[in-house]
Amino acid sequence: MNRLIIVFLSIMLSSVFAYADQHIPNLGKKATEFKDEGEKAHKREGMSHAASLILQRKMHPELLMHKRDKTLRQGVRGGYIQLKKCIECHTSVDENDEYIPINSADQFCSTCHQKVGISLDCFSCHRTTPSKEI
Amino acid sequence: MKALNRREFIKTTTTTTAGVAIIASGITLTTYAAKPQESNPVTNEKRWGMLIDTNKLTETDIDDMIDACQEEQGWGSEILSTGDQKSGWIKKIKVKDTATDRISNLALMCQHCEEPPCVDVCPTNASMKREDGIVLVDKHLCIGCRYCMMACPYDARSFVHEELTNQKEHMPRGKGTVESCTMCVHKVDKGEQPACVEAVDSDAVIFGDLYDSNSKINQTLKKIQSTQIRADLNLNTAVRYSGI
Amino acid sequence: MSIIRYEQIQGKSLGFYALVAGLGAFILAALGAVYFMEHNGHHVTGMSNRIVWGLPHVFALFLIVAASGALNIASIASVFNKKVYKPLSRLSGLVALALLAGGLMVLVLDLGRPDRLIIAMTEYNFNSIFAWNIILYNGFFVIVGVYLWMMFERRMNKYSHTVGIAAFTWRLILTTGTGSIFGFLVARQAYDAVIMAPMFVIMSFAFGLAFFILVLMASYKWTARPLGDAIVNRLSNLLGVFVAAVMYFVSVYHLGNLYLAENSGVESFILVDGGIYTKLFWYGQIILGGLVPLALLYSPATKGNRTMLGLASVLIILGGIVQLYIIIVGGQAYPMELFPGKEILEGYGGIAAYTPTLPELMLGLGGIAVALIAIAYLIKFLPFLPESLADDVTDPHHKKL
Repeated sequence: MNRLIIVFLSIMLSSVFAYADQHIPNLGKKATEFKDEGEKAHKREGMSHAASLILQRKMHPELLMHKRDKTLRQGVRGGYIQLKKCIECHTSVDENDEYIPINSADQFCSTCHQKVGISLDCFSCHRTTPSKEI
Repeated sequence: MKALNRREFIKTTTTTTAGVAIIASGITLTTYAAKPQESNPVTNEKRWGMLIDTNKLTETDIDDMIDACQEEQGWGSEILSTGDQKSGWIKKIKVKDTATDRISNLALMCQHCEEPPCVDVCPTNASMKREDGIVLVDKHLCIGCRYCMMACPYDARSFVHEELTNQKEHMPRGKGTVESCTMCVHKVDKGEQPACVEAVDSDAVIFGDLYDSNSKINQTLKKIQSTQIRADLNLNTAVRYSGI
Repeated sequence: MSIIRYEQIQGKSLGFYALVAGLGAFILAALGAVYFMEHNGHHVTGMSNRIVWGLPHVFALFLIVAASGALNIASIASVFNKKVYKPLSRLSGLVALALLAGGLMVLVLDLGRPDRLIIAMTEYNFNSIFAWNIILYNGFFVIVGVYLWMMFERRMNKYSHTVGIAAFTWRLILTTGTGSIFGFLVARQAYDAVIMAPMFVIMSFAFGLAFFILVLMASYKWTARPLGDAIVNRLSNLLGVFVAAVMYFVSVYHLGNLYLAENSGVESFILVDGGIYTKLFWYGQIILGGLVPLALLYSPATKGNRTMLGLASVLIILGGIVQLYIIIVGGQAYPMELFPGKEILEGYGGIAAYTPTLPELMLGLGGIAVALIAIAYLIKFLPFLPESLADDVTDPHHKKL
């Protein structure tokens, strides 16, 4: 029984540490420029304060999923939740001035996804860099 | 007036607070979210369709249509796939009447059936028809079973046989899923015409709302004789042909 | 009738481990093939946009069809009360489950996105015959599992008749469903025929029984348990009837198609001028998979000979695989009739080319290996096989006659 309690407590504790690490190392080119503005940048794209916070943290799969179904199945276009807009600001640029795919190692999407061990399925079909030239 | 007892007091205040909170939060969200408007869902009051007049359509027109489609949607640059493995969203078909030897050329793509066999057979609802009649593949749900390709009477669908990069932003495509003509749904939703229709200068290809009696396509279809490919299957296609 | 005693096999001999190692090698090869195909994409296979289902589907559907057929022995015992077959019921259920597992493995691993298999369980389109089949396959596992439990657990024996009827009904629906995958494809001349469904049911009888006979004879031979002629000869006769029935259905299917002018093109393609498909049809399906086994099973010279029965079973299985190859690949190779009354000069048409590749074959064989390894291990751990199937055990009246 004691052993079980120890196991249980260590799992609890480790999950606390998992959340303690809020640092996102790679925001991407455009987003780093706006970094000091914080949520204002998202708000400028029309996102509510709440939505931007939620987006940054846990809800982004749900929001993207919800929007993908609306767009594809009902033809609802526009709005602030668009994968291409995420990619537009959050991709980095390498020394040759070319975009690095957002799903490659240590980029915006993959840093967290690597850490939590969740596979990233968007980019088996979706474009990984902004379509506009730098 | 009756004096409030404690239980009732709590009940009333809780309800009021909850109500105010719900309304207030609603207001905040809507004010912030109002700026970039989302478009409304499409409805079944429209049905997008196309009329291809093979008497007016030249062979170069068809080549232009194919080029425009590839350019717009980004298919056709597969390197590793060979022969029949390559994607083909729109094809140039040359047919000869066995009795009269009359030859006609036409462009064949997804016919956007009203009763699409591909949608019937898809086990995961990935093959789907929008309210406005456009038939699409939801690649989020496609498991690559290829039953839709077995069921399609028009050979309209392609399976992606290799890994792809640099897709178009509006047209995600990926290995192991099925794809086909989308009637350029991303352009149609913006009020534009499909790329292949824009590529033809003459009125050999007309695009529009089949239900709208003021639309050019509706009026032309009322006047001239047109046909559906494999009309015997009763699929009621949205792409119609005249002159074959 | 004496009481049947069931016992596990020992499974400690060198032969057993050699068998398991051999099958394991096939399974590893299949997994390697899957990795190769899924990593590169289907361009490394012979499949294309014209031949969308290739060799893996041939094996998968063969195994699935054979699976429901293998359950027949149990059904004959519990549904139709033929006591002779009773001792074989447990093995029959096991072979059915193992074949289905092997077939589904092949089917699933040939998907474009096998990693998304979970979607097939969460998103159902109830108009899709494929989606029905997913339910039917899962249900088959459950029902046959329960059926086996009823047979194993003595207290539950009394329910085995009822569950047996349910399992029998379910398996008929399942094979009908499998046949209907093709039967309702209106666009393709080779498939659009309601007879597809009953034909698949009869095919399942023959293929499943052939597989069952091989498993039965091999396991009794290798464990040196007695297997009497009474039961083997009955199975042999039954097999002959099923093979004849398949040939009857095949001829009705083709004659029916010939009668319809619109389908005469695809018929002459399969029967007369289809190159490899015509050869496979006459030499593979009809002669090797039909006439030769019938001769082996019924001619006085070979009747009752175990080796010949084994050979006949192997030929029936090979003929069955060939038959599904002709149905699945041949049916797709022949172009669809896009413009009735017109000839397509350019852009579509012609016979689609298909050359199966090694990874596809390995995946298919891997499915058979999975089925066999499951059988080998389960008869080691659970008492599926009667300790003796000698004539006096199975049929006490046999000697009096």
